[in-house]
Amino acid sequence: MKYETVIGLEVHVELATKSKIFCSCSAHSFGADPNDHVCPACCGMPGMLPVVNKRVVDFGMKAGMMLNCDINRVTTFDKKSYYYPDLPAAYQTTQWFAPVAVNGLVEIETSKGKKGIRIKQIHMEEDAGKLVHDIREDTTHVDFNRTSVPLIEIVSQPDLSSAEEVEAYLERLKSLLRYAKVAECEMAHGTMRCDVNLSVRPEGSDKLGVRAEMKNMNSIEAIKRAIDYEVARHIDAIENGTEELRQETRRWDDIKGKSYAMRTKETAGDYRYFPDPNVMPVVIDDEWFDSIKASLPEFPEVKKAKYMELGLSEYDATRLSESIAIAECFEDALSVCGNAKEAANWVISEVTRVLNAKGMSYEMLTLDGKVLGKLINLVLESKVSRANAKKILDAMFEDPELDPIKYAEENDLVMSNDTGLVDKVIAEVIAGDAKAVADFKGGKDKALMALFGKCMKQLKGNVDPATLRTMLIDAINKL
Amino acid sequence: MYNVKIDCSVAKKVIADDMILTKGVATTAGSKMLEGFMSLFTSEALVRLEEKGYGLVGKAKVGEFGFDLLGETAVNGALTADGVLKLAAAEAVLANEADVALTMDINGSVRRAAAQTGLVSVKPTYGTVSRYGTIPVACSGETVSLMAKNVADVKDALAAVAGHDPKDGTSLPDSMYVTDAATPKRIAVLTDMLANVNADVKAKVDSAVAALKADGIEVVEVTNDKIAAAKVAWNILMSAELCNNVSRYDGVKFGYRTPNFTNLDELYMNSRTEGFGELLKTAILFGSETLSTDNYMKVYDKALRIRRVVVEEFKRLFQEFDAVLMPACSTLEYTVDAVNNDKYMAFNENFYTAPASISGLPAVVAGGVQLVGKAFSEDKLFTLAEKLEKEGK
Amino acid sequence: MDREILRRLELLNQLKLTEAEKEDVLSFFAAREAEHKVLEAIDTANTERMVHVMPIDTVVREDVVVKMFEREDLQAQAPETDEGYWCVPKVME
Repeated sequence: MKYETVIGLEVHVELATKSKIFCSCSAHSFGADPNDHVCPACCGMPGMLPVVNKRVVDFGMKAGMMLNCDINRVTTFDKKSYYYPDLPAAYQTTQWFAPVAVNGLVEIETSKGKKGIRIKQIHMEEDAGKLVHDIREDTTHVDFNRTSVPLIEIVSQPDLSSAEEVEAYLERLKSLLRYAKVAECEMAHGTMRCDVNLSVRPEGSDKLGVRAEMKNMNSIEAIKRAIDYEVARHIDAIENGTEELRQETRRWDDIKGKSYAMRTKETAGDYRYFPDPNVMPVVIDDEWFDSIKASLPEFPEVKKAKYMELGLSEYDATRLSESIAIAECFEDALSVCGNAKEAANWVISEVTRVLNAKGMSYEMLTLDGKVLGKLINLVLESKVSRANAKKILDAMFEDPELDPIKYAEENDLVMSNDTGLVDKVIAEVIAGDAKAVADFKGGKDKALMALFGKCMKQLKGNVDPATLRTMLIDAINKL
Repeated sequence: MYNVKIDCSVAKKVIADDMILTKGVATTAGSKMLEGFMSLFTSEALVRLEEKGYGLVGKAKVGEFGFDLLGETAVNGALTADGVLKLAAAEAVLANEADVALTMDINGSVRRAAAQTGLVSVKPTYGTVSRYGTIPVACSGETVSLMAKNVADVKDALAAVAGHDPKDGTSLPDSMYVTDAATPKRIAVLTDMLANVNADVKAKVDSAVAALKADGIEVVEVTNDKIAAAKVAWNILMSAELCNNVSRYDGVKFGYRTPNFTNLDELYMNSRTEGFGELLKTAILFGSETLSTDNYMKVYDKALRIRRVVVEEFKRLFQEFDAVLMPACSTLEYTVDAVNNDKYMAFNENFYTAPASISGLPAVVAGGVQLVGKAFSEDKLFTLAEKLEKEGK
Repeated sequence: MDREILRRLELLNQLKLTEAEKEDVLSFFAAREAEHKVLEAIDTANTERMVHVMPIDTVVREDVVVKMFEREDLQAQAPETDEGYWCVPKVME
């Protein structure tokens, strides 16, 4: 029999705000001392009241718009109660009745073509704290820095049917949310986490199979492995009766490559949601709505099409539009240098070269594209050689304030217009290496490279290579 | 009377009840769970009083988390005199220890105390006084409330604490304070609330009505069984919110931790079981059940709809009347015996106080009776209260 | 309302009642259930629920970080801390 897999995802994304969702503590817990970004509210003490951070709503709306959702113009917060040490007030403030965004659609592309994935809703909520289990054997340590850091949870409909689609969907979410600059979406940092709901049924059946939920997955590779494992386990159970499938929460052990049923409490899932009396409804008026709408970036495919209209290849246009940081760097460089091909080459080969060498993701790019444009101009105007321009680019990464022209002048990287100097150097080099000259004349082209290299070195690279080559050959031929 | 007493030599003295957080002075909420709890900040209302020259003389005992009848569930024992329950904050004012009591009106105990002692109290329009720095119990209806010997002192204290506070998301913008100080002409007496009161209370109502009439106020008897249903809905909303608000007390972050545990579940379970009293536990369990999947729509959601019904009914009355007069309690004293016989009296006696609690409307107690007005009509209520006060002298 | 529901409620709310308390709580529940009839008698089919009594919208705050409290003060009353963390008995994930 043939089977189909039905997958729905709940993706938690930490929003890139400065402060927490309901209090003014810093929201940047990564690398901070434990419990350093904490106030009485963050550790469950009574008396402080929640006041909503505007940027959280801005970002929630933006995310909703990026995923083609309808925005609830009156959106409300609710309380969800349960006991766990990472939840200091024993309730989480979330959105149950009127989430910020509903009914979205995300288009993905896989080897099987394009497909739309429906989004059920996006809700805003506060994150929980962090538990540390490896400091002492008998004790769990609790850190509330992450408590109340704003999250959105993106709930898809069960429209996904393979690991490949899940990967494409997650990559698409990342790209769109990064484009809107609302989130880092770095699974390795925990700023994107994923719950996978999966069931398997005979192909064509309209009845859903028994659902397994895998919580808190934090790498796409692990998710793919877990899905493949679960699908096989479900089919095995259906066909061979190896086990009785139950609706349950499972934990994926990526090292062992297996999933395990988690022990659940009798009272698990009894969350007793109710509207939070302390948070008034958030009413999004036209002005607010329109300002967010106006702040949306172009979608990646719009940028890609625009880049192709500039005469770039599809490959280049795709590379440039994958990441908003790369796209903006390119567009800024282009706005200064006016040469799309040059700007594209510099961004695709040189800027990414430096990023890769530094182990930085594209999103971490802070290089000012306009300054890159200036650098490209120096090359186009033959003021700086390509080789030296790359050196300047390296320096630009170290110092964001760096002015390429000044740097070139100060470091003797300006191309020489003094042909007299070039003639003088060529004469010296030829005179100093009679053997190479003879070899070249005898037909050994390689010998020319040695002479060329010596000249270039003496000129500190400040000469156009083609010009130097012509002048060098002329000089030898004149001998 | 006091949980903490402070030497204070300023002219205007305030006693805060133990639901009001005070930096440097313990706030216990009348619970073993919070014995000796030191807040790291002071409630906005007290800060504002201190800015106006009031000085804190101490913290008054309250019943556990302040929602009981009259302080009978306080962990260190109820305050009583001759077998009769007394509310500590009111006693401090009566004894001239304080000019004003700053309290939380969660389930009417402050209004009951004022009515029984002849003090004046105001439960202001919801959102008028910041709840920042108060121990949360029933957030959708509870308010900071003030009590003093006369209307003038209550008015002064209210003027000091009222006004927008950005630290409280339910605090009203200042632009909404359109005070209604028009001369009151007609009031209604809600007869549904007179059926079960004793003769003492009935006499208070009668003399209040007589005094107002003598002053030219038209008094009309009305009946409204929907407003009378407020208590049932309030019991649900209050308990559910209470359940959620006190779930934070678990022996982990601060407060009481049981010595008897070997794992996390025992730590939670035993800390809460040992740290909480019986009425609180009962309310927690009841509140939890109203929010269960099976009951939410039938019970909790229904109560939220009844809240709107009550608000609408009051609105209708206020088109005709300047205030609605009703008792604040069924008797002018609660004996210790009576409460021992019926531990849950707070869930029945709030029949008289729940209408104003659930609707967020202002309520002024004076001359042993309660006057409920439309939002922001405190000044009008004070005008009426002054007439009752005059009569009492 | 029966003992099974009560047992579950105790678990859910991390409370353990004595036998006598259970009897009392059951009588409390019965009293509440009886009074709910008053609500059922009021037709609310066309009435919207009311969570907040005052018709105001959320006043949002700007996204600004303000550090007002120190860890040492927040943990001064903690039953157990270690290296800047609050502590609980080992939790099995």
